[in-house]
Amino acid sequence: MKLFSVSHKTAFVVDHCPYMAESSRQQVECDVLTKSRGQGVIPLAPVSKSLWTCAVECSMEYCRILYDNWPQHMIILNFLILNFLQVNYIVSDSEFHILNSWRQEDQSTHELMSALAAVGPPNPREDPECCSVLHGLVAAVESLCKITEYQHEARTTLMDTADRVANRGRIICLTNAKSDTHVRMLEDCVQETILEQNKMAASSDRLMPIQQCELVLVHIFPQGEDTLVSDRPKKEVSSLLTSEVHSVRAGRHLATKLNILVQQHFDLASTTITNIPMKEEQHANTSANYDVELLHHRDAHLDINFDFLSSLLLCCVGDLHMAGSTSRDSGLKETVTLKWCTPRTNSVELHYCTGAYRISPTDVNSRPSSCLTNFLLNGRSVLLEQPRKSGSKVISHMLSSHGGEIFLHVLNSTRSTLEDPPSISEGCGGRVTDYRITDFGEFMRENRLTPVPETLDADASEKIPSERAKAQLERHTRYWPMIISQTTIFNMQAVVPLANLIVKESLSEEDVLTCQKTVYNLVDMERKNDPLPISTVGSRGKGPKRDEQYRIMWNELETLVKTHVGGSDKHQRVLDCISACRSKPPEEEERKKRGRKREDKEDKSEKNCNKDTEDKSWQESERLKGALDREKEEQVESEVIKDSPDSPEPLNKKPRLEEIQLPEKAKGPVSLLTMWTNRITVANSRKHQEFAGRISSVNNKAELYQHLKDENGMDLHENGKAAR
Amino acid sequence: MPTVVLMDASLSMTRPVSLDQGSEELQRKNLAVAGLTMLFEHMASNYRLEFTSLVAFSSLWELLVPFTRDYNTLQVVLVTDGSLGIGKGSLRHSLQTLKQRPEDKKFPLPFPFPAKLFIMCIASAEELQMTDTMDNLEKLLQLNGGDGQIFTMEGQLCLKSVQSMFGRLIDAAYSPFHAVLRCGNLTSDVQVFPRPEPVFLDQEVDPLPKHVLTDLEIVGFIEIGDISSPPVISRHLVLPIAVSKEVDDVGAGAPEELEEETSANQQAGKAPNFCVLLHGSLKVEGMVALVQVGPEWHGMLYSQADSKKKSNLMMSLFEPGPEPLPWLGKMSQLGPISDAAENPYGEDDSRSPFPLQPPVKRSYAQNVTVWIKASGLQTDVQKILRNARKLPEKTQTFYKELNRLRKAALAFGFWELLKGVAELLERECTLLPDTAHPDAAFQLSHAAQQLKLASTGDSQYSLFEHNINPMHTDFSGGGVGV
Repeated sequence: MKLFSVSHKTAFVVDHCPYMAESSRQQVECDVLTKSRGQGVIPLAPVSKSLWTCAVECSMEYCRILYDNWPQHMIILNFLILNFLQVNYIVSDSEFHILNSWRQEDQSTHELMSALAAVGPPNPREDPECCSVLHGLVAAVESLCKITEYQHEARTTLMDTADRVANRGRIICLTNAKSDTHVRMLEDCVQETILEQNKMAASSDRLMPIQQCELVLVHIFPQGEDTLVSDRPKKEVSSLLTSEVHSVRAGRHLATKLNILVQQHFDLASTTITNIPMKEEQHANTSANYDVELLHHRDAHLDINFDFLSSLLLCCVGDLHMAGSTSRDSGLKETVTLKWCTPRTNSVELHYCTGAYRISPTDVNSRPSSCLTNFLLNGRSVLLEQPRKSGSKVISHMLSSHGGEIFLHVLNSTRSTLEDPPSISEGCGGRVTDYRITDFGEFMRENRLTPVPETLDADASEKIPSERAKAQLERHTRYWPMIISQTTIFNMQAVVPLANLIVKESLSEEDVLTCQKTVYNLVDMERKNDPLPISTVGSRGKGPKRDEQYRIMWNELETLVKTHVGGSDKHQRVLDCISACRSKPPEEEERKKRGRKREDKEDKSEKNCNKDTEDKSWQESERLKGALDREKEEQVESEVIKDSPDSPEPLNKKPRLEEIQLPEKAKGPVSLLTMWTNRITVANSRKHQEFAGRISSVNNKAELYQHLKDENGMDLHENGKAAR
Repeated sequence: MPTVVLMDASLSMTRPVSLDQGSEELQRKNLAVAGLTMLFEHMASNYRLEFTSLVAFSSLWELLVPFTRDYNTLQVVLVTDGSLGIGKGSLRHSLQTLKQRPEDKKFPLPFPFPAKLFIMCIASAEELQMTDTMDNLEKLLQLNGGDGQIFTMEGQLCLKSVQSMFGRLIDAAYSPFHAVLRCGNLTSDVQVFPRPEPVFLDQEVDPLPKHVLTDLEIVGFIEIGDISSPPVISRHLVLPIAVSKEVDDVGAGAPEELEEETSANQQAGKAPNFCVLLHGSLKVEGMVALVQVGPEWHGMLYSQADSKKKSNLMMSLFEPGPEPLPWLGKMSQLGPISDAAENPYGEDDSRSPFPLQPPVKRSYAQNVTVWIKASGLQTDVQKILRNARKLPEKTQTFYKELNRLRKAALAFGFWELLKGVAELLERECTLLPDTAHPDAAFQLSHAAQQLKLASTGDSQYSLFEHNINPMHTDFSGGGVGV
């Protein structure tokens, strides 16, 4: 369907001549007496609708179905046009009353009802000679020339290709014609008016010439009378105008006719939901099954046809004759029956849905219809099943409401090309197990979207909301390690306040203060030597020692904050705070650099020669030493000086460890006992000061009074250095 | 898109190809087979998820390899030497008599499903142009809506040129779609499978096709419940791919790896990838990522699981346009929650800014009046009478129903009904039991009188927006205003 098809504009012309005040002779009993009150009460005589009432209520029903369904074309044609399909309602008698315009706000049944009430029924006493539906038809053509908001918008956006915006329309005329000749006269009049109006429109900005017009004449006559006008299918009056005539009895025939027409004109189709369980009105504890018929765009049935076609295709790929002959538009009275599946859970699921179309119940205020629509409007969804004689259950559709609008979702019931795809764990990055899934989940929650109301006086320099959303994602991801073992700060609860604030576009004084507090808190932690959640994944053993851990942590924190420094002075102040707080005496920095080298060496050795006993034992010694170092540091403050980190590695340590481990190693891999013993040793060494003698022992034998042999003062000198 | 390969197996395909060096005699059939082998090998290595079916035909046809599944879109690769045959049943004859065919024996084209038709000619263009073959084949393409292409061999008929021809087909239809998935500074190189096809909007207004960009940019995130099974035009797997640059030498020395491929895969498997992180979190949180794939074109990324507990990152594309989902509103108006004065999801995630409410309520949501069926009118009249008997307790509902009926009757010009209902109310008044509240009688006659006035069409009483209000009476405890 084209965007500007004849269905873009519909002008209704309803005859308001005195004859239309005639009774339709279809009587409605509106005083339905209950049995208990029956006696002695004279029931009210049945009322009957006039031809006018019949015409008006049926055309209103046409509009109701249309208004329920129309914005769905946005989905199909994906142009958001709220006034895509419009109805201009014209009442015609000696003069004409235009009840509404193409404007958006006029497009509702309520507006039309109000305008119709103001017109009122035709006056039977008026002179029929001065009345003619012609006035209305001329007005209808004129209104079709008027540009709709959507046409205007499309023309403005397309600019130089504005001529692509077409102007087509349909006129539905409900009248009582006198004869076939009268009908021809009406057609000729419309044709002439179009030519006239097109000339005028060519020289106007607010008018557009009509390229195509479809005239649908509906001749209404009372029940029990013979028609004077014959039915005629669509024929071409000229290249601009087609015309068709429907001769219908007033009352339910007319209603049926207009229902068929609205389906034809707007590509609607019917689905009957069957087996809807409903409590009986009278007996609340029993339930019966009901059917409800819905109208919706016919594309909602495409898959049902395809299902059939593709199953044919499957069995006879070569012989496409059969498939080709299956006509898609087979009869308008047809309805597709789908079975209600009582929802079991309220869980939200993401269905694979290939289309969603608005619906309109055919019988909107019947009890089954309103029960169904209320159920859906309350937020529940219903799956619909294709009734099949045999085979498995096929769920092909779903009814669901979104913000007070009910949609028929088409679910994919055919098998897809994407069945049985490889799992994500088999691809790139699939083997990594320590992704920060929870953290990224939190990140996603912070970066959820929300509709921002459009401001009329939008500042041109201001970014549109979706661009601001992207900008926020950019800020939030400037430093975002993907795996747990790549980060320290994001594993620390203490860093959270700063990490949350620093990504903000601008910081308040209070934010800066919070960030600074976070930094002080970290300094405090370092002073107390609190353990850090440094990952040990990848490095065997315990990983780097504590001061190294803090160094890593501070570096990472600096990296994070640096990425935001460009943002504002306040961001800079946070960085300054970090730099100030972490500053260390230069020797210490120097020492750390060496420590790093040592660490690198350690890493490499680990990678390359895992089984090398020599190296392993060397590492072990390193680790032991690390533990000792830590111990020493703890005591730096209390001036209990044992050894200096800067002192050369005590040569006598290595042999000792080698000697412990070598006998074990010789037998093969490390035994559980050895591992355990080592662990305990390390753990113990952390808890107490190792007996000085044992540290410097050889073969577990310590030479006593060693210092007497040493040159006095060397130790002192070293210790003094460390104490600074 | 699944592919059907139609292989011409008629006698003319066995014509030998004249090669200069009489090394080995080749038939056109052999060339076709070589070309198809190349195509299938390409699919096996770069397009593994493609499904293919092979049909051989001459005057009859035989399905050699059936589809294991059914689809609603196809790619058809027809391999032929372009000998169209003669007489009845030949393509030439069929095309000439296209319009004379009976309804039940329609020509197979256009296919009743969207399909691309690729015709691979084991013949040179010159050879085909000597006869009317080319014209006939072009006609065939036209019949299919012009979606497809005819490939001919360039130069001498030999293995090399058949390979170059199939190479062109591969480039046109089977080249993998590579893109970069971005979420701010987090990125991943991905393959999107199947290739996203260009989409045409209304041909009249916008005849240019829309293409998916190779930059897929995440805009933000939405809960699955909020996006609620949106309609999509296509679905694609988003597979992270290892970029050509060497993965750093972590674990490079691992000696156990025997196969080179596994080693490479495992290396890639060990380097953290954004797709995997995103997939994991989307799955755990029950969310989707809104991704922009082009100007005014969006899609969503989510975790798709199959029954076997395997799951993958999937991208579904919405219809292009500024507002593909009415319940989300305009895509460009979706901003970060930090833009809102207070968190629209609530501090405890108990609320949601979605779905957006449409400006006008649909008929089923607004208690409309339809009297096309007599039962509709009867129900409405009975409702009024039921409430009339319970006056003054039901004064409010009584007048509400009465006014609804009044409005509809005025709009439909159904004045006779107003008179009728007025009479009914007067009758109810006379039938009131002695025990009835005195207010009931007053309200009934007041209502009846008002309806009668409205039925005269007197503009003072028949205004549509006007409502009949309960009569003010002095009876204490009357339902007025309760």
